[in-house]
Parts: sequence; structure tokens; C-alpha cells
Amino acid sequence: MSSSQILKGILEGCLLSVISKGEIYGYEMIEKLSTYGFTMVSEGSIYPLLIRMRKEGLVTTRSKKLPSGGPKRKYYSLTEQGKEELDSFKQKWRVISDSVNQLMEDD
Amino acid sequence: MAALLKERREFLQNLRIYLLSSGKKEEETEEIVGELEDHLYEAEKHGKSVQDIIGQSPKAYMEQLAGEMPFDYKNLLIYVPLILIGLICYNILNKAVEGVFSYSLLEAVGDIVITLIGLGLIIVLFKYVASSKLSKISEGLLFYGGSLTPIILLVALTYLDRAVDSPMIHLGLVWRILAVALACLFLIGIAIWAKTWVSIIIPFLSLSPELVLNQTGMQETSKTVLSTVITFLGLGIYIFIVFKRERKKETKIL
Repeated sequence: MSSSQILKGILEGCLLSVISKGEIYGYEMIEKLSTYGFTMVSEGSIYPLLIRMRKEGLVTTRSKKLPSGGPKRKYYSLTEQGKEELDSFKQKWRVISDSVNQLMEDD
Repeated sequence: MAALLKERREFLQNLRIYLLSSGKKEEETEEIVGELEDHLYEAEKHGKSVQDIIGQSPKAYMEQLAGEMPFDYKNLLIYVPLILIGLICYNILNKAVEGVFSYSLLEAVGDIVITLIGLGLIIVLFKYVASSKLSKISEGLLFYGGSLTPIILLVALTYLDRAVDSPMIHLGLVWRILAVALACLFLIGIAIWAKTWVSIIIPFLSLSPELVLNQTGMQETSKTVLSTVITFLGLGIYIFIVFKRERKKETKIL
């Protein structure tokens, strides 16, 4: 597994978490992620992931017209399956991060 | 700010061309292009460029997006035969205007093969040009070469057809009428189905001047010159109108 693939898996988990807080669109997700210091991926890299997550049935989308006019904005929300995926990611992440942290502290 | 706006428009247009020529559904293509437009517009307010957002070469990013979108076989299955039959209809009408109703097997098969090669070439070219940063000159040269290739092949086919004997197909009177009527009906059918005038206007502009001038007692050479001039003038006006309309649509969207 290359480092970018690991990062993709983590990014997917984080996106699930961000979307679980309520309906949200792409740019807002990036803003949320960056407030947590999540800046190691380019902003555009969330879109191929979002396409895949929708294909896998983890998220659904809804287009809303903006009050200011212009193009419609696409909002994402989690499906039941997405919520389950988020729970399983949280568990896996806890195990990984705990063991990595312990290992690093021993150095 | 103006530079960012220009970069955004160019990137989105190229992305649209890339995805469509990669055989992605139009609806899904418009959806992702619209979504990225929204994002790039927001990012622009904070002075971020397209490059900042995609973080890699446009080609790599477009490939990544395309990799997640399913290939639309239905489109291919509909459009390729449609364009092929459309071109065959045009060929029949073109020959009918000249009063020719015999076709050699070699020519008929060769026409279809060359048309397929031409279609493939256009798709590959569009994909390539949309995803790589080329100068306007090399872009133009590529498209020039791309459109010249089928023409050269067609000329080669004509010479080959003269040199090689292949079975001939002759149409009797009833078949002639039937062939012309079917060809016309089909071209009109395409126009109605695809909501485009192209399949009617192009055959009409390129064939009707000759047809009308044939009824006059004009000399062969002046007839050819005049019908060519009328055809190109007509096509020029048509392209100008289409271009204007597209421009209007584009400014409405952005």
C-alpha cells in the first residue's frame, strides 16, 4: 500500500465524519477539515473520493439552488450504510492510532 | 483576478471535453463540472488558483476523476452507428445528385472503415488536447492533421478502387427512389431525435446548390465554382450563427 492510498483511506474516514454532522457541500468540507489542520491533501482530491463514496452508497446528494443565483450547489449527507462505515472506521482508527502512538512514545 | 477566472473557465471546459470524450455520461459530467465550478469559484475569492486546488497536473487530476466514473456504453452504442448511417445517407444523396447509382463493394466498405478511423481519431485527439497544456499552434496542427488523415485515406481509396476490380452494386429505378427517400428520412429523423439541425443543414447546403444548378444550362466549370461558393458561404453563415448562440449560452452560465 502506498502512502497516498493510506492517506485516501484516512481522508475517506474524515469525510464520513464531517458529513455525519449534517448536510454539507464540498467547499465547506475543506474548510472544516482545515480547521482541524487537515492540509496534507489537495482540496480537489475530495471529489474523486466523493464520487466513489456515492457509488458505494455511503452518501447521498441533493442539489439546492443558491439564493444568490448561479449554479446549483451539491449537498452531501450520510446514508445508514455510511453511518456504519464511519463506526467501523472509528474502531479501526482507534486501534491503529493507539498502537502507533505507543510505539512512538517508546522511542 | 481576471487571470484566475480565465484559468478556471479553461480548466472546466477542458475537463468537460475530457470526460465526454472518455465516454462518460453527459449528466454525470455536468454534475462534477458544476460542483468543481462551485468550489473553484469559492476558492478564487481567497486568491487560490486551479493549480492550488487540484494539486497535480490537470491530466492526472482528470484521469483520477474519470477513473471513478463508469463508462457509458449506451452512448457509444447509439452514437457510433447513428453517425455511421448518417454519413452513409449523405454519401447516397451526394452520389444521387451526380446521377450515380452504382457502388463498388471496395468503395462502400472502405468508406465505412475510414469513417470509423476518423471518428476514433477525433475522440483520441479531443482527449489528448483537453488534458495536456499545448500551445494554440500545436493544437491547431494536431486537429489539422487529424482532419486531413481521413481525407487522404479517401483519396487513396478512390485510386485503389480504380486499380482494383471489385463487385459492383447497381440500383434499379425503384431502389434508387427508395434509397434516396430512406436517406432523407433518416437524416430528418436524426435531426428530430438529437434536436439538432446539423444533419439536415449540412447535406442541404452542400448538395442543393449543385442540384438546382444542374437544372440550368450552365457550363460545367462555372457550375462547380458557383455551387462550391454557395456551399461555403452557407456553411460559414451557419457556423457563425451556432457560434454566436453558444457564446450567449456560455455567458449565461458563468
